[in-house]
Amino acid sequence: MTTAAPERGARATAPRARLNRAIESAPLALPLALIAVVLTVATDRFLSVDNLTNVVVAAGIVAIPGLAMTLCIAMGEFDLSVGSTVSLTGAVTCTWIVGGHPAAVAMLVGLLVGAAVGLLNGLVVTKLGVTPFIATLATLVIVRGVSLAYTGGRDAIVSSSTLKFLAAGRVFGVPMPVVLTAVTALAAWWVVNRTRFGRWVCAIGSNREAARMSGLPVDRVRTTVYVIVGVAGGIWGLLISSQLQKGSGQLGLGFELDAITIVVIGGTSLLGGRASVVGTLLGAVLIETIRNGLNLLNTPPAYQRISIGLLLVVALTIQALRRNAPAEALDDV
Amino acid sequence: MTSDTALPPAPGAQAPAPATETQRRWARQHSIGALWETWGITAVLVVLLAASPLLSSDFLTVANLQSVLRESAYLGIVAAAMTLAVMNGTFDLSVGGQLALVSVTTLMGYAAGGTGLAVLVAVITGVACGAVNGALVTAMRVPPFVATLGMLFVFRGIAYVLTQDGPKTLPYSEIGSPFVKIGGLNVAGIPLPFLIMVAFYGAIWVLLRRTATGRRVLAFGSSPEAARFCGISVHRIRMLIFVVIGLSVGIAALTYISRVWTADGSAQDGFELRVIAAVVLGGTSLKGGKGTLIGTFSAVLLVGVLNDLLVSRGVDASYQRVVLGCVLITALAIDGLRTRFAAPGSFAHMLPRRRREAPAR
Repeated sequence: MTTAAPERGARATAPRARLNRAIESAPLALPLALIAVVLTVATDRFLSVDNLTNVVVAAGIVAIPGLAMTLCIAMGEFDLSVGSTVSLTGAVTCTWIVGGHPAAVAMLVGLLVGAAVGLLNGLVVTKLGVTPFIATLATLVIVRGVSLAYTGGRDAIVSSSTLKFLAAGRVFGVPMPVVLTAVTALAAWWVVNRTRFGRWVCAIGSNREAARMSGLPVDRVRTTVYVIVGVAGGIWGLLISSQLQKGSGQLGLGFELDAITIVVIGGTSLLGGRASVVGTLLGAVLIETIRNGLNLLNTPPAYQRISIGLLLVVALTIQALRRNAPAEALDDV
Repeated sequence: MTSDTALPPAPGAQAPAPATETQRRWARQHSIGALWETWGITAVLVVLLAASPLLSSDFLTVANLQSVLRESAYLGIVAAAMTLAVMNGTFDLSVGGQLALVSVTTLMGYAAGGTGLAVLVAVITGVACGAVNGALVTAMRVPPFVATLGMLFVFRGIAYVLTQDGPKTLPYSEIGSPFVKIGGLNVAGIPLPFLIMVAFYGAIWVLLRRTATGRRVLAFGSSPEAARFCGISVHRIRMLIFVVIGLSVGIAALTYISRVWTADGSAQDGFELRVIAAVVLGGTSLKGGKGTLIGTFSAVLLVGVLNDLLVSRGVDASYQRVVLGCVLITALAIDGLRTRFAAPGSFAHMLPRRRREAPAR
């Protein structure tokens, strides 16, 4: 909260702001470099082009919903329903493709479904006044149920080159997910740092009541952010379905925590009021590098969970210890 | 007012005020809104139970009711402790991981040393998990949301590591052991897990309503700032809350695992969200400072009854989720709309005030 104000005024005192920002991203860049060095030494495959491409693609895929979630968390709210959106979007798209519709139409319908879930979240939160945490928790359960009912518990297996292109295709040699992520990241950076909408989002995150008093269209902004997260969840679903070539009610279980984890590791405060686009990207790369490294070292999946959990806790401990006001940390929920 | 003329003017002017204030407070506490807040979900449960014979002819049988109570117990026990946390303005997302881990270690304890060791291991593991969470939140000052989110991964991960060679299970030959009775025994027709749950609610109620610590839990939840100025140590309270949650998971795991007999790292995926949903459905505000144990108690049973009815009606598992999600949103929407209309400046707030002033004019 308090950090929002200095950052606003920071444009005038650029060097100090730049220093602050450098310190803020350091906790991520440092372990990232360290892990990369360790993995280069410990394995002979880490530094290969193929492997690094895998890491970047995986990071890109999780970064897209992560960037949308950054907006949501900067607004001081959450969306827990992303994992279910992933499942429903994939299920709808694949079922439509199986049903004989053109892949492009099916993908568009999938994205619309994602947007609809976002709109539902937004309306429940703004019009019915339900706390975002609970509202999106409820839609998580509901949308998962709809997805399971829609697929009838069966996998919709597809073989569509158009859908496959989304995750496996290359544009001028650059993997498609990376292109999508780059576009999303630029858009997110631009929205957060250069647009009125981004300001509004952060203003609502710092103090929603003050934002309302200042005449900001608070409910409209909140709804829009939920729709953005819904669409991003939809893109995530398309990418996952594209990778696996199937849609299923079981996909995306627990994905919401992945998205939130990279945002939080990236340094976007859960208190709201500020967004770190670069941090989220770094967070995604860090997590996927660790996953990749553990895979290369033949570590069982169980240890991956532990290490990601510990990473989250350590990152947050560093953040909390760096903050001087002890009281502030305790107000976080 | 006229009867007070004998008194000196200054106290006379003030004297009726406390009286009306008390009356107002009584009226506020016994208004439909306040009653709904405490007993609403219980009323819904009663209505649902009354209507249950219409929905399913097999529902109101002893065996079925016993099974509902037995199934609800482990969720209910953790929900009681979680109510404390939510009242305090925090929550614990790691309970699902804790339950998986405690279940696994309990089965390992049973394999090593029978029922006694299993119970001991369950309680110790639970309390240890809670203490780790508490230490992170208080000593390391990590925000509870992320601390417990991270520990959810860690606890579940440890449970996975411990069950790498396959899930831990209770061999069928142990069917006569006292350990299995924890989950299966009926005392005077009432399932033991449910009795444990009731006893746990009793203990939490005493802690919350009859001790200074309970007051502090609520005080900090309703106003962290005010509580801090009163010299309440948040750290000690938060530590206590997380340890109590850990303990509750230990007890819950005993009633759960002695009934299910098998556990691995994936046991009870999404448990944390079900617990929080039950607490919130019971009327405890996520903003802290407000809530009732009876609400949580009834909400847990409501979810259990609803699940049972849906199953007996042959409703597909996927639609059960949809129904439960909708129930949650509806309950919260009613609550949200009610608070919105009771807010200062809103129409509904003006109405009772005018009514109150009417007799004076």
